[in-house]
Amino acid sequence: MRAAWAITNTTVRQLLGVRRAVIFGLAELAPAAVFFLLVQTMTEEAAITHVVAMIVGLYFPLLIPIVALIIASSALGDERRDGTLSFLVLRPIPRSVIALTKFTGAVTVAAGLNALGALALGAAYGIQTGSWALLVPLAVGGVIASVVYASLAVPLGFFTNWSVLIGLVFVFIFENAVVSALSGLSSLSPWRIGLSAFSGLVPDDVAAELSDIGIASLTGTGTALVRTVVITAASIGVITLVLRRRDLT
Amino acid sequence: MNANPALVESATVELDDVSKWFGQKVAVSNLTCSFGPGVTGLLGPNGAGKTTLLRMLTGLIRPSQGSVRVLGVWPRTSPSVYANVGLVPEEAAVYPGLTARDYVRYAATLSGVPDVDEAANRAIDAVDLGPPADRKLAGYSKGMRQRAKVAAALVSDPQILLLDEPLNGTDPVQRLHLINLFQRLGDEGRTVIVSSHILDEVDRMSDRVLAIVDGRLAAAGDVAAIRRAMSDIPYRVRIETDANRVLAARLLEEALVHGVSVDDDALIVETGDLSALGRRVPIVAREVDARITTFQPEDASLESVFRYLVKR
Repeated sequence: MRAAWAITNTTVRQLLGVRRAVIFGLAELAPAAVFFLLVQTMTEEAAITHVVAMIVGLYFPLLIPIVALIIASSALGDERRDGTLSFLVLRPIPRSVIALTKFTGAVTVAAGLNALGALALGAAYGIQTGSWALLVPLAVGGVIASVVYASLAVPLGFFTNWSVLIGLVFVFIFENAVVSALSGLSSLSPWRIGLSAFSGLVPDDVAAELSDIGIASLTGTGTALVRTVVITAASIGVITLVLRRRDLT
Repeated sequence: MNANPALVESATVELDDVSKWFGQKVAVSNLTCSFGPGVTGLLGPNGAGKTTLLRMLTGLIRPSQGSVRVLGVWPRTSPSVYANVGLVPEEAAVYPGLTARDYVRYAATLSGVPDVDEAANRAIDAVDLGPPADRKLAGYSKGMRQRAKVAAALVSDPQILLLDEPLNGTDPVQRLHLINLFQRLGDEGRTVIVSSHILDEVDRMSDRVLAIVDGRLAAAGDVAAIRRAMSDIPYRVRIETDANRVLAARLLEEALVHGVSVDDDALIVETGDLSALGRRVPIVAREVDARITTFQPEDASLESVFRYLVKR
């Protein structure tokens, strides 16, 4: 238990240096800032339109993936590149614990940063409209999407130095172009899984706005949670298997 | 008494017919040897397979063939054995954002050491790191990083210590301190395996040496035995004159000359007695009226010595 905590804690410190915290922290505030500027003189109805535009145009499809991919792919990737993986694995600790704790460290940082963005946007909406109903749904959706991206990026970061680039190609080509055209594939899109969790928790007026702008195949919070759990378990399983089976050079 | 110098009694680390290849490249080939208490030097030129061997001993990489046993088990499938194994890898392998003390404490925590602070202080003192232990590793010199890595490996008080070129980057004072430390650990009954490509280093700290070249065991035994094995290696001397072929023909008549080859610019003479050749060549050259412009022993590096040992 002490070792697990130490790995998680060190991973968080590794992934969240001062520079990263400042850059990503400011980036997370961007949707809230843009929304705040846009809606100063508008009605509550327009505020809904703008906040949904920020959520489906900036927060979920851009901010969450970029932050989560960069952070999570470093969790094991940096250990491999810096040669510290041997320091970690040559310990009397099961490899499954190492996999779980590295993943937990990555998710803590990625989800924490993205939750900050969610809370900022939800708060901006609350200040403008007096409704705080988006705070929790946004945070839940942001965390879920971050977990799914981390599930992809942590093992990918172990395998290749190009993990962030590959991840961004996946986001911009597959998720934001292919899946947008072929809605049947939306279950393969991490940010849409987060958006589904969000959509299942929002008030009716926001849900209607989402529907109006054509966000299809939103399966709801329960399904999103189940998918997240399955993807996370598979990812930790893959990382464990890799640490057990592969030559660690 | 074990007849095979590659094997020891009371072995804590055993390799049985171990080979490792990466694609077409054979890194370690049919290696059978064992290690026991005391300091054993793994001697070999760069690229000989020492690092691959150490990585196999730790379970970081698996052998393509054969078996590795550390304290009776294959470490990869029995991680509990790592409580008794410390590795100092050749590469950086430190967390630059941590202080050396935090790094050593981290190692202690991961190894399940009960009193982390006490163990970390003891390990830091053992490598004589001193006050810089509270500075971040990012600002450390290579020698200081080496000492921090040794401290991290020692913090769990391991029975087996694997050190991959641990003296790289250290200054003479640090080097002497670490050599004394490794000897003391060996004297305490720990199995200490130290790789190096420098014979003098290995000579100073090891009771026993395994010489490895091209992934194969070239020689095994105590340092004196390795030195004896090296003593009958012929020297190669490059001689340039204005009458190479005439001098070559005359030198072949000399008993101390084992062989001569001639190219356009020079002749290469092989001898077992370099100084005698140095005295004889000017005399012979005068006899055949050849003017010597160069008399230069060829590469006597460890690598060429090892290659000779492998060919024998």
